Amino acid sequence: MTGYFVRRFLLIIPTFIGITLLVFAITRVVPGGPIERLMTQIQLGGETGSLERSQGGGTLSDEQMEELKRYYGFDKPMLSSYAIWLKKVLQFDLGLSTRYQDPVWQIIKERFPISIYYGLTTLILTYAVCIPLGLAKGMYHGSALDSWSSAVVFLGYALPSYVIGIALISMFAGYWDIFPLGGFISDNYDELTLWGKASDIFSHSVLPLIAYLAGSFAVTTLMMKNSLMDNLSADYMRTATAKGLSRSESVRGHALRNSLIPVATSFGSNISLLLGGSFLIETIFNIDGIGLLGYEAIIERDYPIVMGILVISSLLYLLGNILSDICVALVDPRIRFGERSGS
Amino acid sequence: MTLFKNPVAKKRWQRFRQSRRGYYSAWILLGLTLCSFGAEMLANNRALLVVHEGKVHFPIYGDVLTGKDFGLDYNYEVNYRELKKSLSNKDGWLIMPPIPFGPLETDLIAGDFPPHAPSVDTRHYLGTDTSGRDVAARLIYGFRTAIVFSLLLLVFNYGAGVAIGCMMGFWGGAFDLIFQRIIEIWSNIPFLYVIMIVASVITPGFWTLLFIMAFFGWTSMTWYMRTATYKEVARDYVMAARALGASGPRIVFRHILPNSVSTLVTFVPFSVASGITSLTALDYLGFGLPPPVSSWGELLKQGTENLEALWLVGSVVVAMTVILMLVAYIGEAIRDAYDPRKFSFYE
Repeated sequence: MTGYFVRRFLLIIPTFIGITLLVFAITRVVPGGPIERLMTQIQLGGETGSLERSQGGGTLSDEQMEELKRYYGFDKPMLSSYAIWLKKVLQFDLGLSTRYQDPVWQIIKERFPISIYYGLTTLILTYAVCIPLGLAKGMYHGSALDSWSSAVVFLGYALPSYVIGIALISMFAGYWDIFPLGGFISDNYDELTLWGKASDIFSHSVLPLIAYLAGSFAVTTLMMKNSLMDNLSADYMRTATAKGLSRSESVRGHALRNSLIPVATSFGSNISLLLGGSFLIETIFNIDGIGLLGYEAIIERDYPIVMGILVISSLLYLLGNILSDICVALVDPRIRFGERSGS
Repeated sequence: MTLFKNPVAKKRWQRFRQSRRGYYSAWILLGLTLCSFGAEMLANNRALLVVHEGKVHFPIYGDVLTGKDFGLDYNYEVNYRELKKSLSNKDGWLIMPPIPFGPLETDLIAGDFPPHAPSVDTRHYLGTDTSGRDVAARLIYGFRTAIVFSLLLLVFNYGAGVAIGCMMGFWGGAFDLIFQRIIEIWSNIPFLYVIMIVASVITPGFWTLLFIMAFFGWTSMTWYMRTATYKEVARDYVMAARALGASGPRIVFRHILPNSVSTLVTFVPFSVASGITSLTALDYLGFGLPPPVSSWGELLKQGTENLEALWLVGSVVVAMTVILMLVAYIGEAIRDAYDPRKFSFYE
């Protein structure tokens, strides 16, 4: 089994190269890359202030063009500039942002705490709400609690979380003005007391958290309920009842543990949410996390950041998938990965 | 069509009909989709039917009629809403569609800035958007775009998935191994992010966007088809067919596919829903279909930028809720029909 996971970890490498090469090729081949963007920026007279207007008619001289192309590796063929890029990535150098002229890694690192805050809270809330709710729904199938919560669960199941986010922000922030319109903290955050700071963060994060939760809530609750119901009709539950255990005792002692297995399979996918956030929700609520950074980078054609986020999110995704399998193997001793058919 | 005559399929259809909610949802969704194909007759600035001086016109599907044709003093296309007011009984009469505005037509009301609030007087039943276009009309046309897009996407994805998955399962060996790696790379690509990157650099139209999304999304069905084919290949009837001298294609198309494809139906509603939601998300982020195509995502974007105009967000959210709930009910019913769960417990 260790061999299986070692192989899985090694497989990350070709997969990672495949993903990044694909996207790298796309950003190279299509027009409108960073050089063109820099040129228009200069032609506009350095509006953003990051670059001085060059003397003359506002176009780049051939020398400057060559220099820029060399800097971004556009002068070389695609594969060799990819190799240079990959080598830099291995040295933890994601390059300089074309927009801010800062190291990409530093820009991404600054956004981590916000994404981790939302990711972790969502993770904890999801499991704290969904597992008990799924249990109650499974045990009291057909009761009032079950049918009422089913309506909510079904809504969350059918609607994507960004639609729920938009509905929430327009109702509770736009129309009723109960919660702020977005952002992570207020402008006057530094002047607030400790209590004020806490309630400020809280009021800013209620709506996004509901939207984040809506995404995973329905799936996890239904999964928990269905797997519990499968287990309730299993033979070992008949044995437990036959030996005299009450229903709640037999559920607690036997069915619960077995029904957690499918829930464990989805655990790993949380790791990418934990750090990556969701573009849509961060864009809707204007939260300065990694998702919004990626979105802005795409609009601004800031490819070093785009590639940097791709590197981080695909690595997290790959690791998350393996983590899921490890979780499943830990929870379910019957599962032996990679040991079928005598291999 | 032997596929629909076998007793298992009949039983599944029976069970699907029995779950009333899913069955009626399917009819409603089918009805809405068919209605949206006739969107020109529901929301249009041209009249459905004009009777003028003894002549009958169907302006929606006919030639462009100018003001001169109706004895007015201008030479460009006639404004049917005003024509209706000016036509007196003796000249003729006309019938307008229920929503008398086209999806791209701006209708600015004097003394007010768009977006205009919903009102029965102006006949903007769901108001207008920020450039004065009728929301109800755009909602109907946007639904048509979304449903056609996601159905086409489904055809592409399933076509590629079934073909490649089936080949992987049937041939096995090196072909299987190579495609396993390719699919692993593909399924690990952050879908939305990469689509955004690609869409930001080539500003796609309808077909380009469809192609991009199919290019990155075709893997979803391959794993399923591969396993199903592997299972079927190992069965005795395939061996019997081989012994009779059946060729590879014949075994695949006559024996394996009919036995494995039917279960794909259970995934269809979820693929339709995800097609609609991802198209809307891309449009919302500004990487979807180019303006001025009517789309739900673009309306959502306007709505979040103008939160005081609640009818923008409200109408899209309600429309999406209705459609996606219908789809989810259908999906639930199909799944129940394929895999009926009988719930029981001991106490």
